[in-house]
This record gives sequence, C-alpha cells and structure tokens, in this order.
Amino acid sequence: MPDNDVIAAAKERLEQSGLPSTWLDIPVHWGVKAKEQATPENGGLRFQMLNVDVYGEVPDVWENNTEIPRGAVPDTRTEQMGYSIFNKAEVWSDLCAELYEDAIADRWNSSADIPWDSLEPIGADLERAVCQIATMMSEYGWTKAQTTGRWLQEISYGYIEVKLFLGTVVFDAARLFEVWRKRALANGGGMGRGGRNWKFLPLTQSYTFSEFVVASIMHDSMLLTLLRHGEQLAQTEAERQIYRLCEQDIERHLAYFVDHMRYLMLKEPVRREEIHRYMNKAEWYLAKDGDDTLYSALAVIMGDGREGAEEAMADVAELRREQIETYLGYLRQCHLADREDRLNEELRKWAGMVELEEEEKIPV
Amino acid sequence: MVTADKLDELQMEPEAPELDLSWLNLDTEWGVSAELGRKGLTLQQINKSIYGEIPATSVDSSARPRGAAPPEGATPRMTPWVLGDATETFSDSAALLYDEAVSRQWSSATDIPWDTLDELPEDIERAMVQLCTSLTEVEFIAGDVPGKWLPRIAADHYESGLFLMSQVMDEARHTDVFRKRALANGGGLLLQGGGGGLRQILEAEDFTQMSSMLHILGEGFVQSLFRLGELIAHNEAEKRIFRLAAQDESRHVAYGVTHLKYTLEHEPEKAEEVHWTLDMFEDTLVDPDQANPGLAGALVYLLGDGDVDEGWRLFWHVRRKQVLEYLHRLDVAGLGGRLETGRLHPALAGALDEN
Ligand SMILES: [Fe+2]
Ligand SMILES: [Fe+2]
Repeated sequence: MPDNDVIAAAKERLEQSGLPSTWLDIPVHWGVKAKEQATPENGGLRFQMLNVDVYGEVPDVWENNTEIPRGAVPDTRTEQMGYSIFNKAEVWSDLCAELYEDAIADRWNSSADIPWDSLEPIGADLERAVCQIATMMSEYGWTKAQTTGRWLQEISYGYIEVKLFLGTVVFDAARLFEVWRKRALANGGGMGRGGRNWKFLPLTQSYTFSEFVVASIMHDSMLLTLLRHGEQLAQTEAERQIYRLCEQDIERHLAYFVDHMRYLMLKEPVRREEIHRYMNKAEWYLAKDGDDTLYSALAVIMGDGREGAEEAMADVAELRREQIETYLGYLRQCHLADREDRLNEELRKWAGMVELEEEEKIPV
Repeated sequence: MVTADKLDELQMEPEAPELDLSWLNLDTEWGVSAELGRKGLTLQQINKSIYGEIPATSVDSSARPRGAAPPEGATPRMTPWVLGDATETFSDSAALLYDEAVSRQWSSATDIPWDTLDELPEDIERAMVQLCTSLTEVEFIAGDVPGKWLPRIAADHYESGLFLMSQVMDEARHTDVFRKRALANGGGLLLQGGGGGLRQILEAEDFTQMSSMLHILGEGFVQSLFRLGELIAHNEAEKRIFRLAAQDESRHVAYGVTHLKYTLEHEPEKAEEVHWTLDMFEDTLVDPDQANPGLAGALVYLLGDGDVDEGWRLFWHVRRKQVLEYLHRLDVAGLGGRLETGRLHPALAGALDEN
C-alpha cells in the first residue's frame, strides 16, 4: 500500500526546490510485480507478463493520438502524433507479445552463424542459379522491410505488442536481404538479375493494414514453401543453414499474419468481401508479373545444370503448386477457406486446380 | 466451398513455368569471393569490387539490389519517390553500425537480472517508474521515425536502410525494457510525457534535418544520460538496462554524426539548414512550457536519491556532460562553432558554467 507520509515528504522537498510534484499525486496501480513471474524456466521477464491489471486491457478502440504508454495518465497538452490506426481488429493478434519475445530468442547473425567456410565451387551454371535466387530473395527482403516499416507510424500505442513484433519483422527482413546478398558475393559469383517488381505493388500500395497483411500472407507463403525445400536446393552446409534460419523467421511472421486475419474475420465479418478484393489484386499482380526467372533458376539447380533444366521443370511446377497450396492452407486457418473457389485463374493453373465454371469466375 | 478432399479430386497437372535461361548470360560483375574476416562474413567483407561502390545518385526506385542487372520488360515505380542523392541519407559507417547492431542484440527478457530488483522505498520506486514512463514514450517515437523513412531509402544505398532497420529493432527493445521496468517492481506507469520535441522529429520532411534532431541531439542527450545510468540505478538490473541501452544509442548517435559529416562534406551549403533545425530543436527541448513535469522531477529525485539539492547538483553535472558531448559530436560532423558564435541556446550554454 502507498505510504502517504513518504510521498508527502517527497512532494514537499520537490516543491521547496521549485520542481513539479504533480506526478506524485497520480493514482498508481500499485503492486504490479511482473518480476515475480520472471524465472529462467519461464524464459525470463517476457512482455506478456506485463499484461496484468489496467496495463493488459487492450481496448477495441484506442482513443489517444499521442505516444502515451497504455496505462499511463495523459498529459492533455501533448500534440497529436498522426497515428491512423485506433481499431484493435485492424491489427491485433493475441500472439504478438509471445512472438516478439520468440523472435528475439531466435535471433541470429548472418556474419557468424552461417558456416561460410563450407562454401565450395559448385560449377558455373549452379553458381549462376544460386546467385539468381539470392538476388531475388534480397529483393523481397528489402521490400518486406520497407513496406512493414512504414506501418509503424500508423499504429497507436494501444496496440504496442503489434508494433514491437513488427519491429522484429523489419529486422528479420533486413537479414533476409543481407544474408542472401552475402551468399551471392561469397562464392565466386555475383548478383543476378532484378525482378519486375509488379508483384510487390500490392504491398507498397496498401491503404489499410489488413490489405498489407493478406498480400504478405501470399508472398510469405510462396517464400516459405521455397525455403522448406532448402534441403533439396542447398548446395552447401552454409546454404542449408540460410534456408533453415530464414524459414524459422518467415514461419513466425505468418503465425502473426494468419492469427491477425483470423481475428479480423471473427470481429468484423462484414469485411470479408473487401478482403477478397485485396486478394484479387495481390494474386492478379503475382500472376501478371510474368517473370519466370526465379523458377528457371530453380530448374537449373534441380536439373543440376542447364541441360537438365527442361526436365526439372516438372519438379519446379510441383513446387509452385505447393506454394499455392500453402497459401490456401494459411487462408483456411483464418476463416478464408472460400478463397479456394475464388482463386485467380492463372494461379489455379499453377496449382493444377480445375477451371471454374464461367459463372463462378470472379471478375478482376 | 471446396474442401481439401474435394481439391484432391479436382487436381490436374500443375502448369509449368516457362524456362528462360537468359539470366545465365548477364554481364553483372562476376567472380566475386568475399573473404571471411575475424567476425565472419560482415557487410564490410562483401562491399568489395563494384558491389561496394556507392552511387552518388540513384535513379532506381525499385527494390533491385545494388549491382544486379535490370529486369527485362516493363517495371513499375515502387514508391512515389526515393531519396536518390547519397548526401540525403548515406553514412560511411552505416554498414559497420549495422554489423555491430546484429552482433550486439540483447534480450530484455533474459539479459537483465530482474531478480536483483529489490523492494525500493516508495518514493524512489515512484520516481523510477515515472522516469521509465517518460522513457518508454520517447523510445516509442524513436522507432516510428526510422520506420517512416524506410520506404524512401534507395536500394542502391542499402547500408543506410539496413542501419535504420536495426534501429527499429533496437527502439522496440527500448520501448519494451522501460515498460518492463515500470511494471516489474510494484510501481506502474505514471504521467505521460517524454517532453517537447518528439513531434518535431516525427514531422520533419527532410532526412538530414530529422537525423540531426533524432540521432545527434535527441539520442545524444539520451545516450549521455544512459552512460551516467550508475547515478540513477539502484540495483544491477537497472544498471544493466542503462548500460545496454547506452550501447545501442551509441550506434544511433554515430550514424547521425557520420551521416551529417558525409552530407556536409559533399554539400557544405546544407550547414545553415542544419543549424536552423538545431536552433528550433534546442529551443523546444529547453522550453519550460513544453517540459514534462514528471521527467525532470523524477530525474532530479533519483539522481539525489531523494535529496533534491544533491539531485539538482547532479542534474547540472549530467546536463553539462550532455552539452559538451553534443558540441563535440557536432565538431566531428563538421558543424562546429555553435557555442563560439553564440548560436547555442543560452539555457544549454549556461549549463557549461555549472560545477
Ligand atoms: Fe532508444
Ligand atoms: Fe536510439
């Protein structure tokens, strides 16, 4: 319990010295002791442990447009900061706080955690192919960091867990960019050819956060499927490790994106059709990007050189089919199973799904 | 609706992508083998040959990595505009600072000895949680700002982009660790208020102006304070928080200083604009009207461990150090002379006379 005598004496000393003492009058929610839960077995003091009392109350609508910490007392003189997201359903997932700590616990260092000395000459075609894939991985990492980062200034402190987690996504994406650049420049190769970038526009152009999220679910699903083939694609232990570590990161991002969309669909089912529009757009851009460079590089690797590439295309097609299935699988988890009926026609072909009847087609 | 089982029934052969092998014959720089260094394969190590050459001007608003061949066919603009001139965002130290950031990440959950937080007298605990309330707020904005600028960094100047991405991560951890401290030991969050100046950093529409406010003056003051964290801390947990956060802030400050240095070396006429920005920002920082009642009071109280006179004495000791280090950083960046020309705000210049 607050000791009134001690506080009164403190106030007096401050006032005598001309210092404000009003902060000592604030009704504190005294007795919150998150440290008590912080044991090594519990993973130390994790953010989720702070979410008790008023500090854990995450309102459906956050009213304050300043940087006020959730649970603090407002100073009404503070300028508004230009946040635009005050709606919990737009960003929330209960998993954020834990995923944030997981990301930090799983952190890795591309300089020291990749066995770079395992790289060895792999032949000209394969090196070109690996470097081409590396170039495109870098490109997505860059785009992912930029497009995720720009949402930070939109989200208010009410949903602090989301912002903390997005901070880790930005940092993971930075590493996705640089670890693949390092691979391209480490083994006698160089950079390959950049992609056409049309497919990234739904990420850069999104007006709502959830629009960004569904486009991210699509891109991350495609990437994750590719990363999961690391054992098959990696030429050396170094690459195997890169695939594995990037896979772990992207899985974490998808865990949030999917859980958020699940939350949004439950809280605001009225937005279902709107979200389908965003998926229409994301898929359309992906299909029309029309750049088969990445898949051709995969074919050269799977075919062990350019001679075997044609034949390996069947395996690449299978991988691309898996990519679409992974995407649809994640959408099923967020109550968007109906996407299967509405998938972009081109992507249906990639997935080997029968064509829709004329009347079922969704105009784009 | 199509179920997973039904999907199997409906399965055909997946359409195959078209094989295009034109990328096997690009004329990008080839034969590059970065060598491992003492710290492994760092950015420094791969910034060799043409891949290490920083274009003074980038006209590419796409995500194409530096040194990669352009794609075939039409490509869209990714963002309405990027800061194409290296003088806008570049720092010669950005790559090194990013490498350091990656190798010096820490966890607020496991790297702080939270079990050393003993019960504190109530007045001290209150002052500490008030300080942490203000700090978590400041750190929150410090993370929003680099996020805002990320889409405007040219991929050709990726080193600065990576640095800002690492800063986003660092500031998330700072926002988090001060919130943790506020809620760990029986206190709570008190009065909002990081003080004036946060909005000015966020609203700036020139990168170098933003950076001189955020990285050099704002984070500079914070770093000088954190380095004196021993004066504020009452236990090993608090000491560790300030020590680790100070280490991160050193990188942020170093980026700001080296960026300004780069800019002024290439564009000396920008100096007056930066001076003007600092005039405005110093004025905001010391404006009593914009001061947060909690921040100054709690800081003085903690510094004196409840003895307010002693707290004031130490406060001016801290402030003097902040100003001296600020002026030194400006000197290094090539923007010396604020004190000598009487341009430094009198309230800051006055701090140099103390002690
Ligand atoms: Fe910070
Ligand atoms: Fe900082």
